[in-house]
Amino acid sequence: MTPNSVTDPIFGKMTLDALPHLWYTVGGTAFVTLMGLGVALVLTRYRRWGWLWREWLTSTDPKKIGIMYLIVSSLMMFRGGIDAGMMLIQQALAAGGSRGFLSADHFQQIFTSHGDIMVFFVAMGFFFGLMNLILPLQIGTRDLAFPFVNSLSFWLYAAGAVFINLFFVIGGSFAAAGWLSVVPLSELRYSPGVGIDYWAWSLQLSGLGTLLGGINFIVTIIKKRAPGMTLMRMPLFAWASLCSMVLVISAFPVLTAAVALLWLDRFLGMHLFTESFGGNQMMYINLIWMWGHPEVYILVLPAFGMFSEIVSTFSRKRIFNYASMVGAAVFITLISYLVWLHHFFTMGAGADVNGIFGAATMLVAIPMAVQVLNWILTMRGGRIVFALPMYWFIGFLVIFVFGGMAGVLLGSPAADFQLHNTLFLVAHFHTMIMGAIFGIFAGISYWFSKIAGFRLDETWGRRAFWLWLVGFFVTFIPLYTLGFMGATRRLDHYPASTGWQPLYAAAAIGFLILVCGSGALVMQLIASYRRRREYRDRTGDPWDGRTLEWSVASPPPFYVFAASPEVRGREAFWEAKRARPETGGGPPARYDDIVMPRNTGMGLYISGFAFLTAFALVWHMVWLAGLGLAGAIACVIVRSFAEDTEYVLPASEVARIEAAARADDN
Amino acid sequence: MRRAKLAIGIIAAAAASLAVFFALSGANALITHPRGLIARGELRVIITDLVILASAAAPVYFLLFATAWRYRAGNRKAGYEPERRRNLLLDVAIWAVPAAVLVSLAVLNWRAAHELDPFRPIDGEARPLTIQVVALDWKWLFIYPEQGIAAVNFVEIPERTPIVFELAADGAPMNSFWIPQLSGQMYSMTGMSTELHLMADGPGDYAGRAAEINGPGFADMTFAVRSASAAEFESWVAGVKRSSDRLTDASYGELVKPSAAVPVILYSSVPPGLYENVVAKYSAPAGGPPAASAMPGLSQ
Repeated sequence: MTPNSVTDPIFGKMTLDALPHLWYTVGGTAFVTLMGLGVALVLTRYRRWGWLWREWLTSTDPKKIGIMYLIVSSLMMFRGGIDAGMMLIQQALAAGGSRGFLSADHFQQIFTSHGDIMVFFVAMGFFFGLMNLILPLQIGTRDLAFPFVNSLSFWLYAAGAVFINLFFVIGGSFAAAGWLSVVPLSELRYSPGVGIDYWAWSLQLSGLGTLLGGINFIVTIIKKRAPGMTLMRMPLFAWASLCSMVLVISAFPVLTAAVALLWLDRFLGMHLFTESFGGNQMMYINLIWMWGHPEVYILVLPAFGMFSEIVSTFSRKRIFNYASMVGAAVFITLISYLVWLHHFFTMGAGADVNGIFGAATMLVAIPMAVQVLNWILTMRGGRIVFALPMYWFIGFLVIFVFGGMAGVLLGSPAADFQLHNTLFLVAHFHTMIMGAIFGIFAGISYWFSKIAGFRLDETWGRRAFWLWLVGFFVTFIPLYTLGFMGATRRLDHYPASTGWQPLYAAAAIGFLILVCGSGALVMQLIASYRRRREYRDRTGDPWDGRTLEWSVASPPPFYVFAASPEVRGREAFWEAKRARPETGGGPPARYDDIVMPRNTGMGLYISGFAFLTAFALVWHMVWLAGLGLAGAIACVIVRSFAEDTEYVLPASEVARIEAAARADDN
Repeated sequence: MRRAKLAIGIIAAAAASLAVFFALSGANALITHPRGLIARGELRVIITDLVILASAAAPVYFLLFATAWRYRAGNRKAGYEPERRRNLLLDVAIWAVPAAVLVSLAVLNWRAAHELDPFRPIDGEARPLTIQVVALDWKWLFIYPEQGIAAVNFVEIPERTPIVFELAADGAPMNSFWIPQLSGQMYSMTGMSTELHLMADGPGDYAGRAAEINGPGFADMTFAVRSASAAEFESWVAGVKRSSDRLTDASYGELVKPSAAVPVILYSSVPPGLYENVVAKYSAPAGGPPAASAMPGLSQ
């Protein structure tokens, strides 16, 4: 307990002030309540509660967990997008005497939550969703190595997503110290409210889920590949995911530790990162970026992997120089640990230290360039079909090369002294993350039919693409320019004499274009659903694909592969198709019994108890924290004694389902 | 001709963006209008790097669009080699060319990092002037130890004279000290003293601000810099010495308390060793805790 704070034995630090009373907390609470009521009403009306519980919430099927990831990520993107809009509109207004419509503190909460939500709950969520949906199919396995842990990972992620929004309902204010809660600003002395604690526990919940997910995917990729699929025969998305997950398991513990230590400062009055009593603020900055920089590659590598698949498929050609692509991904993985200091060249390290980290930062661009050139060489000599995923790919390359140049420039310590903390930096990392988002959109438009059974509408998709590309330039080119005009990030107002206002206004217009782009994506979903019969993917292989996920029906049966595929080359399905032109399919000689994981609610229960513990610790309710922790541990113990976690799907049943599916096709 | 539209659209978008960039980055573009030795050096690094990067990226863009256009599915004249997957020369080239560009950039910037190291003293004809800077919540205190004067949110410096800024903070989180037209940033933190050396070309007024988020008063934590001739500087110092405001331990105690958008204050005297005491106050556990009044979080 903090030495001087008075806490109630039951309610801890919580008082009636914690209830919603500001316009945005009341509004947020009302919005969430109404949405929740609406969903509950629909579920009750159509008697879907049991279905929801059995088919989705307790599912251990990666195909369903993946879809739940995508849904949560989309909701969070809406939430993070509102933050972005409020920020940009505030900045477009608040020049000279005007203070805009947000107080400084509220503005700072908004950019903090925008950053956290977009990185932890949008980008990460989308990638984990796509990996769940596609990766097992690509490497020819039915499931992840640990289906229950996968469910737990998702529910911890979902708990974190709810937790980061919980301050709307109880607490009233979020963290306001930047997306990484820099010390000492995030220490109790400067941030006495519960905002930082909500931030810390949201990251801990979702971070634990991410770490478990990382372990799960690594074990899956190493141990569960189809017979014959050696590492050097794996699709590049699997390679990229493996590298990304290696980064996850080595970098996320650093984040967990750094955030835990900060929280100890706040909860137990320790002095690890405080300015006095021997605390060292620079230690926290180092730790947080030791995680923070690998995190960039955790997000970018899976996008690279998806683009490798897409370029090869739509160029109708093998990937050029597969070994180089793998080497580049591994090179990125290794060197991404050696560049973290470039986030604070201005903290006063000597020229040698800055110079070394600057040079390492430049070197990490080499494998990136290799990947880009390899994609172009893959297109060379191909027959390129410009389907929607290819649009996103070309758009990605255009902005990624641009943002990469800005990144190399920022890697120069001498240049960084001027550009650090400016909107140039903000524009740079948004360019890179936008590249990852283009990757997500490319991946979704590529694999959508595999997930839903019908393709996405191309017309609305192309509209969305153009709006996003133009919106990107209109939003971020002004920010690059503002950086050169000396505009630092995170300003809630500025003097009119700076001449910044027209550019901030242009950025706000760019944001509106991006909103239209998001609208077009929603329209694309609606249009595709309406025409789902026309767009139905009957073959399971709409793009003439090369990898195993295209060898099964769209959507695949719950057991995915009736018989485990045999892999004889790098492009397993492409080679099988050429060997047996009738789509490589045909019923296997015989079916075997399939062992499937049972559904379980334990992932949900454990996350629920973890959520309760986190909530109790934010408010210093020691008894509730103990209860929550005991509950979570009890669930883990109960689960580890459960023996009936799998069931056998008899071969006869598989044969029946397969025969029925074939009859249905004809 | 969907692909033609795609290519033209992307090129047009990029060109329009660049036009916006150059049209709008006029005299307000502080970084591209340096007025000091260090800022000029930093701009030279930025431009050199950008020229090298752009000349490396231009062929990539060209290859991307040319390849995408030539090998479009509709163009049956282009050769189709679906199995083509390796070419030793290209394999080596795609590693060697980027490596050559980036390694030379790394070497170039290693040297620049040393030349423009903020801690590195500047050789100038005039004798260097030391100014001690204390970041407070949310204002900047400038102490002239040799002259025995101080100022809040305003700093006057003699032109063409190496200036040594010693930077620390008191009761304020991590801050970044920045005068874009004179030099890049340096953090100012509690418990340690960092340094920033710069030199102004000539007389002028420049804007300075805090560049690292440090609480609700962040946006207003700006200061003005005036560069003047040596004679004007001397007469300014003499004028400040006649100021009725004196920085004492008591008035410093008031100044440390959080306040934002503070107007300029000029102090005719400063308690001796104030800056050193501010640094020492936080630097060791043995130094003991800061005064309770400066710890609002704990006093609640």
